[in-house]
Amino acid sequence: MTADRVRGVIATFLTGAKKAFDPELPGDTDLYGGGLELDSLEAAELSAMLEDEFGTDPFSAGEEMPETVGEVLAFYEAAATA
Amino acid sequence: MSTTDLDGASHEPEKHYDRVHEAWRLIMGEEFHYGYFATPTTPLEQATAALTAQMLQRAGIGAGDRVLDVGCGTGRQACDLVEEYDARVLGITTSGAGVAAATELAASRGLPGATFEQRDGTDNGLPDGSFDVVWALESSHLMRDRRALLSEAARVLAPGGRLVLCDIINRRRIPFLEVRARRDDFAVLRAAFGDAHMLPLSDYTGWLEELGLQVSDATDISDETLPTFEAWRSNCATHEQQVVELIGEQARDEFVRSCDILEGLWNDGTFGYGILGAAKP
Repeated sequence: MTADRVRGVIATFLTGAKKAFDPELPGDTDLYGGGLELDSLEAAELSAMLEDEFGTDPFSAGEEMPETVGEVLAFYEAAATA
Repeated sequence: MSTTDLDGASHEPEKHYDRVHEAWRLIMGEEFHYGYFATPTTPLEQATAALTAQMLQRAGIGAGDRVLDVGCGTGRQACDLVEEYDARVLGITTSGAGVAAATELAASRGLPGATFEQRDGTDNGLPDGSFDVVWALESSHLMRDRRALLSEAARVLAPGGRLVLCDIINRRRIPFLEVRARRDDFAVLRAAFGDAHMLPLSDYTGWLEELGLQVSDATDISDETLPTFEAWRSNCATHEQQVVELIGEQARDEFVRSCDILEGLWNDGTFGYGILGAAKP
């Protein structure tokens, strides 16, 4: 799984949610305040979309909740190399 | 209660606002907000008047008082405050269509003391100390930066001025996995009522105290507001044909479902309703 695919899912979600975002989705982009401004419902919806696509997601994996785009990418990178 | 467009249709804003507003008026009653029910069978109009009375009791509005109505909606409350208490009321809302409708209402009622401007309650741009009362009836839940709303309210109050606020509140922290499991229900509420964010009553009082205001009371009135949902459903059924003509069948169905969901969230202790009063020393 590539970072591009993960970014693609995030971008699809953000577009559907009518969120303004940098199409590059830099890794240091905050998911919440000061960045993508996701609220808890939007985070839940993104979580479900990522799980539908990849079978697992970093929001409900029982570990630290991701705070940035980079942390979402790192979760899948770690899963791919495990 | 602030509401949003449910059918996704594109219309000229003022006409569309009127059409949607007319549907909500049929469902929610003339005062357009939750009710404070003495008994579950209290008529909605009586209950909404009782909630306004709860606000008035805390606001202590007198003749000539300068009142800022934050999130003034249709302007009905502002007009009533001018007419019944001889106050001078500035209503603010981020909706241009809302300002136009409220201004028209004040003109039709012959109330030059009620004026309306398009401003953001979290950054209102009004002079310091320029109001005796800040009034926020069921508008705060749509403002993401709640602390900024309260900070702006505190700033524009004159010494001795009062803030009164009532709104839907969060009565317990909802774990992420529960939000995820119930996301379809929360999405229905977002579609019906807009991008609302509920906070605990204690968040409001904590921030007000940090801002130097003296909180006179903060009361959970969830039980008293609970019958609102049955009243709204009942009005949907009573005015079914008109409501469907105004907003469409899908929007009507979503509204009824949102009443069911909210009633469940009230009953399981997730959401509720709070009212508070505070004064600036």
